[in-house]
Parts: sequence; structure tokens; C-alpha cells
Amino acid sequence: MTLLDVDDVSIVYEPRGAEPVTAVRGATFSLEQGEFVGLVGESGSGKSTLGFALTGLAKAPARISSGRIAFDGTDIAHLDGEDLRRQRRGGFAMVLQSGMNALNPVRTIANHFADIFAAHEHVPRGRRRERAVELVEKVELPASVLDRYPGELSGGMRQRVAIALAMSLDPRLLVFDEPTTALDVLVQRAVMDTIIELQREENFTAILVSHDLGVVLESTARVLVMHDGVIVEDGPSARILTDPQDDYTRMLLSHYADPRAEVVELPGLRVAGSQISTTGEPPAEPATDAAPSGRAGTRTGRTRAAVVLDGVSKVYPPPRRGEDPVTAVDDVSFTIEPGDALALVGASGSGKSTIAKLITGVERPTAGTVRLGDTDVGSLRRAGLRRLRRDVQMVFQDPYSALNPLHSVEYTLMRPVVNFGGLRGREARRRMLELLEIVGLTPVEQFAAKLPHQLSGGQRQRVVIARALACDPQVIIADEPVSMLDVSLRAGVLALIEDLREQWGVSLLFITHDLLSARVVTDKILVLNRGRVVERGETAQVLRFPEDDYTVELLDAVPQPGRAAD
Amino acid sequence: MRYLLRKIGLLLLTLWAAVTLNFFLPRMMPGSPTDAAIAKLAQNGPVSPATRAAIEAQLGVPTGNIWDQYVAYLGNVLTLDFGISYTFFPQSVSELVLTALPWTLVMVGVVTIVAFVLGTLLGVLAAWKRGTFLDSLPTLTGTFTSAFPYFWTALLLLFFLGYVLQWFPTSGAYSPRATPNLSPEFIADAAYHAVLPAVTILITSLGGWILGMRNTMINTLGDDYVTFAEANGLKPRAVALKYAARNAILPNLTGFGLALGGVVGGSLLVERVFAYPGVGYLLYNAVTNQDFPLMQALFLMITVSVLVANFIVDVLYGYLDPRTRR
Repeated sequence: MTLLDVDDVSIVYEPRGAEPVTAVRGATFSLEQGEFVGLVGESGSGKSTLGFALTGLAKAPARISSGRIAFDGTDIAHLDGEDLRRQRRGGFAMVLQSGMNALNPVRTIANHFADIFAAHEHVPRGRRRERAVELVEKVELPASVLDRYPGELSGGMRQRVAIALAMSLDPRLLVFDEPTTALDVLVQRAVMDTIIELQREENFTAILVSHDLGVVLESTARVLVMHDGVIVEDGPSARILTDPQDDYTRMLLSHYADPRAEVVELPGLRVAGSQISTTGEPPAEPATDAAPSGRAGTRTGRTRAAVVLDGVSKVYPPPRRGEDPVTAVDDVSFTIEPGDALALVGASGSGKSTIAKLITGVERPTAGTVRLGDTDVGSLRRAGLRRLRRDVQMVFQDPYSALNPLHSVEYTLMRPVVNFGGLRGREARRRMLELLEIVGLTPVEQFAAKLPHQLSGGQRQRVVIARALACDPQVIIADEPVSMLDVSLRAGVLALIEDLREQWGVSLLFITHDLLSARVVTDKILVLNRGRVVERGETAQVLRFPEDDYTVELLDAVPQPGRAAD
Repeated sequence: MRYLLRKIGLLLLTLWAAVTLNFFLPRMMPGSPTDAAIAKLAQNGPVSPATRAAIEAQLGVPTGNIWDQYVAYLGNVLTLDFGISYTFFPQSVSELVLTALPWTLVMVGVVTIVAFVLGTLLGVLAAWKRGTFLDSLPTLTGTFTSAFPYFWTALLLLFFLGYVLQWFPTSGAYSPRATPNLSPEFIADAAYHAVLPAVTILITSLGGWILGMRNTMINTLGDDYVTFAEANGLKPRAVALKYAARNAILPNLTGFGLALGGVVGGSLLVERVFAYPGVGYLLYNAVTNQDFPLMQALFLMITVSVLVANFIVDVLYGYLDPRTRR
């Protein structure tokens, strides 16, 4: 039986005082009862806009300009107010992207259920509590969460609650909009498993909207691929994996690889396991020679220094009175030789970012020492920290918030050039343009004049990298530099980071939960779990033949398009 | 419960600090009331030591060491004994304050609460009906009226409604012939006299509440939990009140606490213009007449009322926002 029939639907955004933009163009497809379908596309593809329209949530400035969305025979594209609201029970429901924020912070979970039951009166008064317990148990939560406030639950638990709330409407169609994106890797996996299982048991029709083709291929039987507002591909997952019809789908697929493979290939990047030296000789050695002689001028008088952590621990005071202190980093030691690249991997809360803070001098270690060359980072004061900032630079996770939206690219890059490089006037400007050239933002004059909002995520991240390079640092700490970027942009940024290291001899500390990117840009890896190092070694070696259970768990959490087959 | 106990402890501590400061600050200032009085007299010729002794005896110069003075002062504060007023001799300060306080509390207090409730409701409505007439009318009027200075509005109302049209009395809190009591006639008379000052305060403060509530609520309307509530088919009224407005009101409560604390001391100008016998008018008299005991008592009272109002809002906040309870 056809549950949903989408016929030639177009959606336009009509912001006041700006040109209208067509976000979805002529979308046509239909869903059978009980189907589980993936809707994949990168940011700006219109997938979320379509998802919102399918659940009657398209709101101004978005408008369904043409077409029909027939849900069980009724056209909901032009349904309004009370008629639409009534459709929401036993009709269509939605789980939002940031389930963490989808709950009202001042109402208990039980009250959220009560509100829905009161709105539709589909559960008799006396049975409401019982039904709420049933629903939270379905998403594998204890009944005790009902008496809690959202702020007392973890991100994963909140997303599960959101799913249970959507389920309480007895929906026939459930749209999941990026349901796991904001969650930690291991939690993502667990929540996704719950969704798949629920769909199987309850047999509702489900649409999984996601930017991650890997996740979608793994969980759904059929996939729609969207690009620039158009559905470019619609077919069974298995066929899309083996025989994609559209170039765009092929391009997306090319960005997936198994970090466990002997040879890992991404567009523009190729790392083979055999490249890793087996003689025990550190691959960092050639870095010194790799620095082109023409650039040596910028480095004169400065010796390369290794980053050395020796028995470092960081203990934070208890978050609330009466609780135990939090050990974020527990007796960690490692060395990054000049020009070397080390990956620091682990789920959130594993202490990765705390280590970055210790190396940048933002935090001081509770025990042990952090050294850069001869400098003891932990004991630096004002002036010393300022010198350290020149040597150690950060590339942040979120390029959207790492740039001041009011300043042009030129201004952003000139600050470190002037403050740390000591250059003035024309010379400083030349250096700024040179930096843009290095990170591949050409024509440079044009990019220099732009404001952050005029750049794409990938371009912004390049600006952030250029800024980090501006003061000619010895060490760059990249904290999840590609996790916020579209898959197709990731390889480019990774290739840039890899290039810079080879060309400039900068050492790299690459912090990530994404083992694939760790595999392609680093030589050595450190796996952290709850602040402790559980495994370390050559990146290829560790990822191909992991020994610790935690490493295996992280590897299993990497979406594998091919895994859907089993 | 532990939250409440902690807040009460904090309140007592700050109260003690305020009372103590009120004791030490005047003692740290150079000069004394006696010197001030003698300096005034000295303009008319030399002052004999006997006169000085007489003034000191009259004002009651403190004896004993500072610790004993402090203990005596604490005792006096607890028994509400603030001495005798210079200006309204021989009335005691506490007597004066207790006569003025009800007028201010009832008139300014009621208006402040009404302004907050009304402004917040209008703000909710404006945000919910964003872009319509119900939004633009209160928002624009609010922006306009909240820019009026208190005293200017007061003078304007006084002139047109009181003097030109003679609809309302121009000064005082009740008719000269009436004596304060709780009879319906007297209350009606007092209410009639309170209209102009009350309207003045309402006009100038309402706009702030409307704008504040509207703007925070427009933010919460964009929050995910509001979209999710709509996706779950909650009734529009529930979405607006229980989800959007309920969260938007939190920051406004802090402002409300400050406004409540300011009730006691903050209506000086309005009370002055309308010669309304409240605390503000009393403070005005105390300052212009250098009535030190009266000033000290009033300042202490203003401080204490700000602290107590903040305590109430804190407790309310803890009840309304579970995130602050920890």
C-alpha cells in the first residue's frame, strides 16, 4: 500500500527583502507502508527542507510552491492549522537533528508525554503514565527518566526520549532528521541501532535524513540522493553501493574507505600500509629536508622542538559539591618529534581536548610535565605564553564559530602576521596573500576581501588553517578539523593539512574520533579511553590490527557502506 | 530544600554585611553632624563650647569603644530604633518611615507588578503574532513611551489631567479633610489620588517589559523544543505558553527582581512631583534637610528591600528553572 506519494514538489525560500531561492525542485517519489528509506545529501542540498515539508513543518520563509504531498490519500502540502494538527496523531512525526535541544528544559520528561497525550487525548487519563513507561522502555531507557529534567540526561538519552515522544503519536510515517549527528561516535551507533530495531518491530514507514551516505547505506533498504534541490538517484541501497547511476553519488561514495584496509584511498589522498616503515625508523626524519629551501628564511634562528608529555595528569575539581574530582587525563606520556604527525583518538570525554589545552598552555597539568623543546609549558607566565602561542597554533573544529563574522579574511589573517610575524604595511599584506595562496584560496585578492559568511565551510576551514600558519608555528593542533564539513570537502582539507606538514615541517597533533581521517594524515596514533592511553603505535598497524577492545569498538562505529550487505 | 536553605543563608550573610557597612561607612567619613551644625551657627558669630556641648547632648554623641557601639547599633536595628528625626522633631525615624512606607508599597508596588504582568502578557502576544498588528502596535508604542523621562511624564499628566481638565487631584495621597482609616470611602479617595502617579510609572515602565519579553520569546520560538512541540501536534496555546513563553520569562524575572527592589527607593521623582507622602518623598526631605538619622534608616531600608526582592526572585527562579537548582 502506498503511504506517501510525493508528486513534483518544489519548495522556495522567500526571505523578506532578498531573492527567493528554490531549495527543492520537482521532488517525486512514493513510499510503501513499512519502508525504511534514506534521504542523503550534503549541506544545502534541500534534504532537511524536504523532510520538514513531508511532516507539515515547512514554515515561512519556506513555502511549498508547487506539487502534491499525498499522505494516505490526503494532500498535506496545503493543509493548515487544526486540520494539520489532527493529522499528527497516527500520521507523521519527526525527530529533529539536535534532539539534545528538542526538549523543553523546564519540563520533566513525564510532562512532555503528558502534553502530547493531552493534545490528542488518544490515551485515557488513567493509562498515561503506564503508556509513557512503555514508550521509554522501547527506546531502552529506564522508567526513572520520566521524573527527570532534560538537563539531567546525557545527549544520547535525550535523543532517545525525543524518539519515544515521536513514537507516542503512533505515527505511520516517522522522519528522522540527522538523528545522531550531534552525538558522540559510540552513542551514535547505539542510537542508530535502536532506531533500526524499532522500525523493524513497529513497522512504521521511516525516512532517515542524513549527510552521511555511510550511515544511510548501512541502515536503510532504499536511498534517495539529493543534490542542489534535485533527487538525483533513487534506488535500493545494495545497487547504489555497487552500481551508482549518478556522478554525484559516485563522488560521495569515493569519500568512504575502511580505515582497516591495507591501502586507504580518498580523492587526492592515498595511504598504503606498506608505506609505514617496518624498520622502526621514525618517518618524521625526512621532514627536515622536506622544508623547501626557499622558505628557510622564515625559519632562521629557530630550532625545531619536540612536544614531550611526561606522565601528565589533569584532575578537575568536582563539578558539584560532594562528588568526586574528575580525572580528565591520567598519566599520559608521548612525544611528537619535529615534523611528525600524531593522532589522538577517542570518544568524547576521553581527554583529547584537555591534552590540547595542556599543550597550548590554557590549562596546567596537575602532575607531570608538558614541554616544547626546553620550555616547560606548565610553568609559563604571560610573556612566555605569548611566545608559546607563536609556536603552537590551533585549528578548531567548528569553522563557523572560529572566525569573527564581522572581520574580513584579510583582517583575520593580518592580526597574527602583524602581532607575531612583526611585519608591517606592504610586507604584511604580501605575507597575508601568500598564506591564502598556500591554503589554496585563489584568486587571493578576491578571498582577502570576503567576510566569513560569504565562504563555504571548507573555505572557512582553510582560512582557519591559514591563520594558524600565519605566525610560522612549529606545532599545529587540529581539533576535529573536518568533522563539521561535508564529506566531499573533507578530503581536500585533509590533503591540505598533509601537504603543509610535508612542505613546512610543522608537527601535527590531530585530534579526532574519525579513524579514517586519522589513518590518512598521521603516522602514529594514541587511543585514549577515559583519560588513559589504551593503545599506541603506528597508525596503520594499530588500525589494521587493533588489540584493545575500545579501539575495536571505535573502528566498528565507523560507518561502512558495504556493511549493509550482511 | 537544600537550595532554599543555601539561599536563606546567603541572604542573612548579605543582610549582615549591608547593616555593618551602614554602621561603619558614616564613621569613616570625615566630620560629624555636630561639626555641621556648629559650622552653620558659626556663620552668625562665635560659638561657645557650651553651645557645642548642648548640641552634642542633643544629638547623642556615641560613647564607649567602637565594638560596644556596634553591638548597641545592631540591637537598635533589630528593634527598629533609628533615633529621632532632625527635621520632624520630635517624631522618631521609625515612626516616619512606617507612615510613609504603606503609601509607597501599595502604590508603587502594585503598579510595578501590574506593569510586569501586563507588559509580559503583551510581549507574549506580540511575539506569538509576530509581524501582525498585535505585534507592531504594542512594540512601537512601548518603544515610544519607555523613552519618556519619569518626571516629564509626571509633569505632563499633572498639567493636563490635573490642572487643565481638573479630573484628578494634583497632590497628596488623600483629601486634606480625610483621616487615614480602612473605610471604603477613604480607600476610594486614596485610589483616586493614586491614579496620576501610578499611571506615570505604568506609562514609563510598561514598554520595557513588552520589548524584553517579546524579544526573548522570539528567540525561544526559534528553539528546537518549540518546533518539536509543534511537530508533536501540541495545541498552539500550549506551545506558546508552556514552551516558548515559559522559557522566555526566565531572564525577565531578574529584571523584575531589580524593579521590585527599587520600589522602596526608586519613585523619588514621581512622589516629589505629586507630593505623594511615600518613602521617596521622605528621602527627598531627609536629604535636603541633612536629616542624618532619617537618611541612614532609609538607605538601610532600600538596601534591605533590594536584597529581599532578589532573594524572592532567586527562590522563584529555582522553582521555575530546574537547571539552577543544582
